[in-house]
Amino acid sequence: MLAFVGFSLKRAWQGFWRNSLMSLAATASMVLMLVLLSGLLILLSGLDATLKYVESEVEVVAYLKDSATAQDVTLLTDDLRAMPQVESVTYVSKDQALKNFQERQPEVASLVQALPSNPLPASFEISLRDPSDYIDVATYLRAQSAVDSVQDIKQTVDQMITVINVLRTGGIAVLAIVGLTVLFIIVNTIRLAVVARAEEIEIMRLVGASDAFIRWPFVLEGALVGLFGAVITTCLLLLVQAPLTSLMAGFFNVLPIQASAIVGQNVALIVFATGIGIGVLGSYLSVRSYLSR
Amino acid sequence: MSLASSGLTSDSSGQPAVASRRPFSAVSGPAESAPEATPAVVLRGVTKTYPNGKSALRDVSLTIPTGDFVFLVGPSGAGKSTLIRLLIREELATRGKVLLDGRDLARLNRRDVPNIRRRIGTVFQDFKLLPNKSVRDNVAFALEVTGTPRDRIGPAVDRVLRVVGLAAQADQRPSELSGGEQQRTAIARALVHDPNLFIADEPTGNLDPLISWEIIQLLLRINEMGVTVLMATHNAEVVTALRKRVVGLDDGRVVRDETGAAYHRED
Repeated sequence: MLAFVGFSLKRAWQGFWRNSLMSLAATASMVLMLVLLSGLLILLSGLDATLKYVESEVEVVAYLKDSATAQDVTLLTDDLRAMPQVESVTYVSKDQALKNFQERQPEVASLVQALPSNPLPASFEISLRDPSDYIDVATYLRAQSAVDSVQDIKQTVDQMITVINVLRTGGIAVLAIVGLTVLFIIVNTIRLAVVARAEEIEIMRLVGASDAFIRWPFVLEGALVGLFGAVITTCLLLLVQAPLTSLMAGFFNVLPIQASAIVGQNVALIVFATGIGIGVLGSYLSVRSYLSR
Repeated sequence: MSLASSGLTSDSSGQPAVASRRPFSAVSGPAESAPEATPAVVLRGVTKTYPNGKSALRDVSLTIPTGDFVFLVGPSGAGKSTLIRLLIREELATRGKVLLDGRDLARLNRRDVPNIRRRIGTVFQDFKLLPNKSVRDNVAFALEVTGTPRDRIGPAVDRVLRVVGLAAQADQRPSELSGGEQQRTAIARALVHDPNLFIADEPTGNLDPLISWEIIQLLLRINEMGVTVLMATHNAEVVTALRKRVVGLDDGRVVRDETGAAYHRED
């Protein structure tokens, strides 16, 4: 067993470097595919996290007209609290809204102070027991004279889901094409390696080498292409991690996610599994069709 | 042509080494083989027809007792190579049975095929050596690819290199060797698994007469160690001189099977 493992590893290593140009070309295409894969994974996980955040925050925000009286506010609050779909109601006055805005965007605070009057409307923030009850509550609010407008978060969420689905489907399609191409390249690389060793394989069969001894060095050679591809991809990802994180943080600046370590770990795991998996599959297919003659 | 010049007896340590690893050689030698012992090779009504309709062997029956030395002769295309491919189970017979040591090759599991091949030493006209490996590594390769532990490979290789008289050339590459030395390397590789049956397909086809005799002497030595030898050849001079059993094939049929007869090349 030990002799088998040692023999296979040694031969796989020799095989990889014997036709190094071809092996490195296969590794490069493997890297290309894995970079695409991890890019898609990171983008999708970012969008998914955003979606989850937005969904968890699904609440109805109703902006009040400036003409709304304190009585209107009290009446509306009572009515809303009485609705079974509503979990809680928070009233944000014009002053409170301004304060919140200044806290969130301190860099433009002075700009707001320069305005002659407070431009921000008062609002109700209503969180729901179930996001699907959104329509009921929004319809009720829109009918009230004191309500200026109802923010349509539902529509935003639906748009995001559409974007994510398009990205996912398109990404998977592109990945499938690139993956098949890489598989094809590996099948060919290993086929060349097998043909280059045809003489040795003939001798191995003559002297009574089992199929495993003939097959495994090539399968491991394919795995090596996948492994090298995954290592290079991971290094590339680590290199771009810092700039990418700040870019993402700027892009999704509302998100309180600290998920990058977990995402990174998962992506690395998937990159290694995919790289080695495709390497093994490609070389296995290649050797199997050759040996079954 | 003497044994000494063939390199066989120049290394005195070769003989005892062989004797010690084949403790049964004394009882399984050609003269002593018991009549009831399982023959090394049995073919019963073997026919081999290729998909293109060409029949390479037609109803061949042949028994080779353990320890025998048999020449397989016949013109090109007579079926000698097909017969050898059936024996090493590169191919299966279309009809009939091929038995090695009593085992039906057609009923063998795919995973048992390598085990059977380890009990057959095979050499060919073109030597089939790996050009990038030294003599020692070429022989060791046969052990490496069959999962032999590393510490047992070295001694086993040294032993067979002494048997074929190549201990001094162990570190040379095939390209640095003469044709005869290359064939002796191939023979060493075929011997390293300690086979029961030794098949030589035109082993002297690429060698000049003098060197050919060296190889024949070596095969005789192997036969004396108790190994059954089957040698396909065109070399009429050798066949006639040795007075061994001769099986003649022509157009896929056995046309002669006699011991001690002369052979005239007909093709």
